[in-house]
Amino acid sequence: MASVMVSPEGGGRLVRIDPGVREANTAWVGMVIFLGSWTVMFAAMFFSYGLLRVESATWPPDGYARLPMMLPAANTVVLLLSSVALQRGLRAVRANQPLFPWLMTALSLGVMFLLLQGVVWNSLWTEGFVTASGRYGSVFYLLTSFHALHVLVGLGFLLWLVPRSLQSSYTPRDHSPVRLTAMFWHFVDIVWIVMFVTVYVL
Amino acid sequence: MDLQPIHSPPTTFIKKYVFSTDHKVIARQFLWAGLLFLAIGGGLGMLIRWAWGFPGEAVPIIGDLILPHSNGVIGPSTYNGIFTSHGLIMIFFAITPMMIGSFGNLCIPLAIGARDMAFPTLNMLSFWTFVIALCCVLASFFVPMGTAAAGWTTYPPLSTQIGTPGLGQTFMVLAIFFTGSATIMGGVNYVTTVMRLRAPGMTYMRMPLTIWGQWLTAILNVLFVPVLAAAAIMLIMDRHFGTEFFIAGANGPGDPILFQHLFWIFGHPEVYILILPAWGFAGDLLSYFSRKPAYWYKGQVWAMCAVTILSAIVYGHHMFLSGMNPLLGQSFMLLTLIISVPAELLFLNWLHTMWKGSIRMTTPMIFTLGMVFVFGLGGLTGIFLGTISTDIYLHDTMFVVGHFHYTMAAAAFLVTMGAIYFWFPKFFGCQMNEAIGKAHAWLSIIFITLLFGGQMVVGFSGQQRRLWNPFEYTFTEHLTELNLLTSYAAFALAISQLLFVYNFIEGVFTKRTCGNNPWEVGTLEWELSSPPPVHNFTTIPTVLRGPHEYANPDVRRALGRDWISQTEELPSQPAGTGGADSGAGPVGGDSADGAADADTAASEEPAAEVAGG
Repeated sequence: MASVMVSPEGGGRLVRIDPGVREANTAWVGMVIFLGSWTVMFAAMFFSYGLLRVESATWPPDGYARLPMMLPAANTVVLLLSSVALQRGLRAVRANQPLFPWLMTALSLGVMFLLLQGVVWNSLWTEGFVTASGRYGSVFYLLTSFHALHVLVGLGFLLWLVPRSLQSSYTPRDHSPVRLTAMFWHFVDIVWIVMFVTVYVL
Repeated sequence: MDLQPIHSPPTTFIKKYVFSTDHKVIARQFLWAGLLFLAIGGGLGMLIRWAWGFPGEAVPIIGDLILPHSNGVIGPSTYNGIFTSHGLIMIFFAITPMMIGSFGNLCIPLAIGARDMAFPTLNMLSFWTFVIALCCVLASFFVPMGTAAAGWTTYPPLSTQIGTPGLGQTFMVLAIFFTGSATIMGGVNYVTTVMRLRAPGMTYMRMPLTIWGQWLTAILNVLFVPVLAAAAIMLIMDRHFGTEFFIAGANGPGDPILFQHLFWIFGHPEVYILILPAWGFAGDLLSYFSRKPAYWYKGQVWAMCAVTILSAIVYGHHMFLSGMNPLLGQSFMLLTLIISVPAELLFLNWLHTMWKGSIRMTTPMIFTLGMVFVFGLGGLTGIFLGTISTDIYLHDTMFVVGHFHYTMAAAAFLVTMGAIYFWFPKFFGCQMNEAIGKAHAWLSIIFITLLFGGQMVVGFSGQQRRLWNPFEYTFTEHLTELNLLTSYAAFALAISQLLFVYNFIEGVFTKRTCGNNPWEVGTLEWELSSPPPVHNFTTIPTVLRGPHEYANPDVRRALGRDWISQTEELPSQPAGTGGADSGAGPVGGDSADGAADADTAASEEPAAEVAGG
């Protein structure tokens, strides 16, 4: 149902706006603002990491080995692929094709990321690298666990998409949940890449 | 036209009053919660004043009840808990919910012509997350070793297990985390609502200043509360999960100064989060009750925007004495002092709005005048604290306490009270008693000025803040009487609030009603019934002009009154200036723009209108 209204921004011009599209766009604006807010939250944590690191004479601090690189690097690829799969899913919805296969791919890759992350934590913890391992342990476990929490929330969103994707009821005109979930999932992905580079590589 | 759905009114009690998604109900919920915690926080403040007025003496009447183990005497560690929770409760659980939670929710959709917030369910979640935070605050008082006691700034190492063992501090930090989450949810909602749901014709420059204040506040909330949330998470990890972010020393390789950075990156914007809505209220209320357009509306808007931006880059002035690089300190000092320029601009605009107006001394107006007065005092004294050379002497004295109470507490309190009196019809459907209201207003203004003025004077004489017994030092012994007088002012302030309690309760439960527009104001909320229906607007209005269209001779000629609503068409308007076109015409906001003298501004308007038509 298209509707005619005077756009507040358009200086009184008449514009055609579909209420559904308008609501979806409002949700998009809200998501952008929310993700902006969450970026600052992670930025504050990276700031803390940076400050603690700059203050140290050496990094890693004396007595600590460098973190392993191989598994986290593989994990980065896993999360990246998951993001790509969901984006392909979004494109599929927009082209009126089924979302379900892409959604399941993204979901299973996301679960795999968490499992691998668990393996990394487990091996480090048994080696004696724990939250109380000075500032190195503190920032490592803060950043990775807080990120993992977001992956978990993202997986919840992906699961929430499953029922409607099974019924193929997301259409090119009505797929706001898919779009918003994809935004969140990409955000989590980007945060991980920044985290991988700063915490593991540099 | 109808792009926003009309929700059918809720039928069950739970949906209507508890888990409501109606922004007006949520506004009332925030108001009640805020007032309750204002009373709690105020009571704690009175205990602090008692400790300074009558050191070592038992608290009368309620002493045995609240402090049974010491027979009503406030001991040093109890005192630490009292001043800490006073600060935290007042800032996060009294002023914030009242000023932002309540008035943001009530005013934003009504004044921009929307049927509800952009995300009503998120709005509901925001309130109930806030309730979880309130539960954490209350729980902190009943755990062994008492509530948080590390000062409202929660600096480590005091706030780690080393300084404050026990669950009280953890509960309080958790409460800050939850209320921060609630604030972010609300902030996302407010920002989106203003951006997306303005009625046709409601351009940014036609929004009431109240909405500008709320919107800029919401932006600051969305950007900076996450920093506090991150700090709270790290502090809780330090307390309970063995990390060492903030614990320095032989065993701990962290850095307590890191917390100060995080806290003040949030904390300085927070100061403006609490004052921007107050500025918005003041700009509007002064115009409404001076019956004149807000002087240089656009200037006020830009000044508020400038302060919003500057507030993000001055936090270092809280850390002049934390071992900061002097060059960095000077940069922060310069930026801090620059804030006084837009603040002064606002102040002069308020005075100019009143100049030669037909001032109506209603209760909201008296409160607003009080706010202008105490904000002036607080703002001027801020300059001495923003300047490094004087701050070195004044740092950590009662002068600081007096300064931030004048701005964040007195100014915010007074104008919020004015706003409660003003918007009471939209909250509860009638006006509060004006005679009692005026008495409440004058008593509040007089005693709040004396209270925080007294604090400033003793601070200037060298009395340090946060001392349990300030008089054990020879250089502050002679301040005993001044502290006693200040305490009497505080008690008088508290007692005069009973007038408000009576007036408020009476107004809520009375059968009295009032018309749609008892104050004769032109903004959109006053076209609706009091209180407004569930969906606010049956048809979304089309806005024709700015919010402060008063004293326009054309309006007086055509309608016989000195105001016109934002949506009302002027009957005798020359053809071609009506409708959506009038954005180019002279509206309240633009009128004083080019006029050198507000006195002539009103008479210049019709001429410009004819020219425009």
